[in-house]
Amino acid sequence: MAAPYRAMLRSPLVIVVSIATVWFIVAFLVFPNVNLLVTTFFPGGQFSGRSVEKLFSSERAMTSLWHSLLLAVTLSITVNVVGIFIVLVTKYFEIRGARILFLGYATTLIYGGIVLAAGYNFIYGRYGFITAAVQNVFPDIDPNWFSGYFAVVIVMTFATTTNHMLFLSSALAKIDYQTIEAARNMGASTGRILWRIVLPALRPMIFAVTVLTFLIGLGALTAPLVLGGSDFQTIAPMILTFSKTSSSRDLAALLAIILGLATIIVLAVMNRVEKSGVYFSVAKVATPLQKQRIRNPLAAAVVNVVAWVLFVIYATPVLLIVLFSFLDSTAVTTGVITASDFTLANYATVLGTPAVLRPFIVSVVYSALAAVIVVGGLLFVARVVQKYRNRFTASLEYLLHIPWILPTILIALALIMSFDKPNPLVGGAVLTGTTVILLIAYIVVKVPFTLRLLKAGFASIPDSLEDAARILGAKSLFTFRRVLFPLVLPTAAAITALNFNSLLDDYDAAVFLYHPLYEPLGIAIKASTDGENNLDSMSITFVYTVLLMIIMGLTMYLVYGRSGKAQTGKADGRRSRRVRIAEVPTGAPVGHTPDEPRR
Amino acid sequence: MITFDNIEVSFGEHVAIPDLNLEIAEGEFFTLLGPSGCGKTTALRTLAGFIDPSRGEIFIDGAPATHLPSEKRRVGMVFQNYALFPSMTVRQNIAFGLAVRHTKKDETTRLVDEIAGQVELTDAQLDKNVAELSGGQQQRVAIARALVLKPRILLLDEPLSNLDAKLRVQLREQLKNLQSELGITTVYVTHDQEEALTMSDRIAVFNHGVVEQVGTPEEIYNRSASEFVCTFVGANNRLSPALVSRLGLADRPSYLRLEKVSLLRPADAAAAVPLTGTISARAYHGAFSTYSVDVDGSDLRVTSTETGVAPREVGSSVDLFVDPRAVLQY
Repeated sequence: MAAPYRAMLRSPLVIVVSIATVWFIVAFLVFPNVNLLVTTFFPGGQFSGRSVEKLFSSERAMTSLWHSLLLAVTLSITVNVVGIFIVLVTKYFEIRGARILFLGYATTLIYGGIVLAAGYNFIYGRYGFITAAVQNVFPDIDPNWFSGYFAVVIVMTFATTTNHMLFLSSALAKIDYQTIEAARNMGASTGRILWRIVLPALRPMIFAVTVLTFLIGLGALTAPLVLGGSDFQTIAPMILTFSKTSSSRDLAALLAIILGLATIIVLAVMNRVEKSGVYFSVAKVATPLQKQRIRNPLAAAVVNVVAWVLFVIYATPVLLIVLFSFLDSTAVTTGVITASDFTLANYATVLGTPAVLRPFIVSVVYSALAAVIVVGGLLFVARVVQKYRNRFTASLEYLLHIPWILPTILIALALIMSFDKPNPLVGGAVLTGTTVILLIAYIVVKVPFTLRLLKAGFASIPDSLEDAARILGAKSLFTFRRVLFPLVLPTAAAITALNFNSLLDDYDAAVFLYHPLYEPLGIAIKASTDGENNLDSMSITFVYTVLLMIIMGLTMYLVYGRSGKAQTGKADGRRSRRVRIAEVPTGAPVGHTPDEPRR
Repeated sequence: MITFDNIEVSFGEHVAIPDLNLEIAEGEFFTLLGPSGCGKTTALRTLAGFIDPSRGEIFIDGAPATHLPSEKRRVGMVFQNYALFPSMTVRQNIAFGLAVRHTKKDETTRLVDEIAGQVELTDAQLDKNVAELSGGQQQRVAIARALVLKPRILLLDEPLSNLDAKLRVQLREQLKNLQSELGITTVYVTHDQEEALTMSDRIAVFNHGVVEQVGTPEEIYNRSASEFVCTFVGANNRLSPALVSRLGLADRPSYLRLEKVSLLRPADAAAAVPLTGTISARAYHGAFSTYSVDVDGSDLRVTSTETGVAPREVGSSVDLFVDPRAVLQY
């Protein structure tokens, strides 16, 4: 037997970890998805194209496919236009008040998904404050003006520039400033430098972000569901609708498979392009980027005006949500607010009524459990995969990335359809309809992101530390406990926090898998947007949203703010060394990751 | 003390060391010298027990140690980046090996204090986190951590390469003094010829995994066994065939150390061949200058101590003296 395998088999811990990982992969990553394919194309054991025929004969389904494609293409343009602009005004150009602008644009880091869609709906929707206020002046205006394709594109454009804020900013910071100085020295203007030097250097990242945006558009669920109305429904809401009845479940599965296939193809293209080589700087000693002044006064004025208009667009929903959380829902829906309308009653209701607080608690428990389990388990898996490099561990690693290429909706649907009868892979239990299945889904979707970062965490620890411990006589477990674990712990804690955050307001998995008695927050928020009868819960949703923003903002500060300070602040040996090893890449936004774009 | 007997080390298809044979004596300061990628660190890591050789045996004190786990070889190692544990204080780092061996607290404190004194670490520094120390201090901690277990052999993998030039010279002397004091057998890896020449009792010069020469620093420098050793260690003039012929030597690749070319008539004038050339460049080094002199198609470099006398002009003619016995031929 080859030496790497012998070394693995010498450790009982490695054997246990390997067996547990193989079981997890087979039971929750491979079997459900294969089962979904088999159920769709081989019902009753024989190949059948029935579901494909049904798809082609269903006008709703075909329209939803077209709408998804349209949304994906539109967003690829609009998000790039807005995203590149906000990155340039906050990180590249010298604009007065850039820090305040950044805070405004960064609001999407602390709220998104169903919360954001609901927020926009409560402000601009049929019963929204702005709509009501405008109606008071112009009674003839259509109350449904903010719905359909236009509303979905607007909301998703401003919601998904998060990837630009994180990844494009980071790529911009890596440009060697000397290349810009060299161009200027040769007489290039600000615009020419931007067009010929800066943007070409950013092209690979712009391409990557465009791909992510395209995928977000393709698999969008919450925005079309809440704001699309009956005229603009995309694949994901259709999958949800079709999955509710057993007669159309095969159609739901087929749509999910199409979504999955599209995702795989687009990601494969992206991987291929990425491998062609990306060089932000070829300098041995790169010089940090310095902000550029816009020399043309007219251009400077236009840029400033657009930047501040965008700031208002970004910041308004957040500010209004905070404001409305202190108001009675009647004041919001009538569009008339007086000083006497402000009250703490909504907070008292949420925090003082167990039934109202329940969705919040359910989501916190689910998110915390999933975050801790996935990090705790993968701590060992990442170590094994990183330490023993052979075909077996490489296969484990590849298979654990399955959720990365599959949309959450498909994973959820596959789980429902695979564990609805006793299954020997889980000890003969039925999981569909239980509280466990949502937890499993949460763990599954967080596996690739967690594994990648934990593995990077272990890889960032120099091998020589382990060699040093070994030559001093320490056994593997002692070395893991005393040397490696303390070093990887900050990374593990940060990943736990990020996972917790991103699951807190989940809707995509919950809507398929939640237990009726344990309704999570995403479901409760969505319910509050369902027409006139639920207007009372609007204020409760505002409070939920504020609480979520506080938690997400806090996590953001703990993970990025503190480490950022430690990295750039006063040299404190202990802190800076720890942070360097525990560094969480900027590729890991608070709520949502590149692996799992917010849909 | 240490024997490498027909050691071969391969990584997959790549053979890093084809056949290494070395004898290192007890108490010796032995240096493995060579350029990057020549196999010197691989040889050291094989001796440490981190790499299993594909063939051959390693003996320590006459006993086979090839398959002995590294912790049982009684070797201490200082890594290139020191490999200090960043989550621990200086004291905890030094005491790590003692903790593994469940040494009693009092004894641990005594041993740590003792070794800290020897490597000149203060009490205040012992309680700091290792990241708070300077590079030189970190290097002392790494040495203390390696020595506190009283190993028979100390392995040093380019321990000075991360330090600035002045500190490197200072620590070089301290390290050599400490080794002499303790009398510990030391195997030192470096690519810096000056470090090797000033610190070592003997040097093995590596090239592509093969030892080209083993000898004292004087032997390596003055009687370089191969063209590679000659060009890698010390500065040289490569002589043109015309000059080699004029010196009455066989037509082979020939080299002459800079200091073997004299601008003044040497005491042993009978053996020296007088030459005339034209100065083409001068480089000022402070204590001395280096002149490039064009002689018979050879660009001979010659050093001249700055004694306050006006320097020679570029373009002027100059007389040189070369003793053909000093020419190294391959």
